[in-house]
Amino acid sequence: MSEKVALKDIYFEFLLLGIQLLGGGYVIVPLMQKSIIEKRHWITSEELTNFYALSQSIPGIIAVNISAFTGYKLRKKSGTLAALLGIITSPVITIIIIACIVDKLLQISYIQSVFWGVRIAVIILIYLSIKEMWLSSIKDITSWIIFTFACIASFFLKISPVVIIILSVMFGVLVKYIQKRKNKC
Amino acid sequence: MLNTLFYLIYEFFKIGFFSVGGGYATMPFLYQLIHDYGWYTTDELTNMIAISMITPGPVGVNMATFAGFKTLGIIGSVLATIALIIPSFFFVILISKLLYKFNENFWVKSVLYSLKPAGCGLLTAVGLGFIRDNIKCFPAVCLLLFLFIISFKFKKNPLYYFLFAAIIGILLQIIGIKFV
Repeated sequence: MSEKVALKDIYFEFLLLGIQLLGGGYVIVPLMQKSIIEKRHWITSEELTNFYALSQSIPGIIAVNISAFTGYKLRKKSGTLAALLGIITSPVITIIIIACIVDKLLQISYIQSVFWGVRIAVIILIYLSIKEMWLSSIKDITSWIIFTFACIASFFLKISPVVIIILSVMFGVLVKYIQKRKNKC
Repeated sequence: MLNTLFYLIYEFFKIGFFSVGGGYATMPFLYQLIHDYGWYTTDELTNMIAISMITPGPVGVNMATFAGFKTLGIIGSVLATIALIIPSFFFVILISKLLYKFNENFWVKSVLYSLKPAGCGLLTAVGLGFIRDNIKCFPAVCLLLFLFIISFKFKKNPLYYFLFAAIIGILLQIIGIKFV
């Protein structure tokens, strides 16, 4: 790529992605394949796979992270900013509109019935997301212990997630460090 | 109000910084905010999550916008969303500068190794809470079990689950079966 990609193009492409996206996590990858790779030729398939893997392992929303990585590749910091603003524009506007009318809508009895069903479907989606995270994270006894601790501490003991995460990281890093020392001996 | 504004930005920045595993991973933090500040109720959050999942856009962004709106209106929704993505901005720039080698560093690897199961455990707790709060009658148990079984075949297209569940809800009301 010899020419600089215009910031407004970056913003616009991610704005479109924000409109099309439905659901979390992996959904953005096939959409980016079409727009960012096949239409714009901004990044390669390999880069996209790479960005997705990185986006999953660092904190933050996956779709937001993957947009930021792409933006950075195209125009460094300003590109990152353009991509980030692009991806959030449509959801922010849509949700504000919905939030304004939701209380009225929920007074309609049919909408209440719809929500009764939707809330149950949410449980399945949370379950599917847990399953996906499980496959990439629970690999040995230490990760099992962290998982069980986090779940019990949050559900039964109502300990704050931040505290749970800090304790989990301290425990996990300590175990890894001890293992490393042992392997060296 | 300024106080709330400050705490809102601070809390959503913290969520962006600590949640690993995507949008769903922000849920435990959103529940914690009920406990710490009472900006919205558990019922409201449950509906916010459901709406965020059936509205276009990243689920995590949708939920943050919604929670921000409940707390401080339009200003709140914009600020909560921006605060949520600021950590991403810095993480991504930092990692891009390190030429992706950060994944090979022992300490980084160990931190990531521990973060993922913790995030998974926290989300499981949210799922359990959802079951406790929303599965209160026989039709609900049946619908949940049915969706669970078809999830082995359908994998992940959220739209079908929501459509099907919504239709069942309306049908039950038309037939006149009581459900809560």
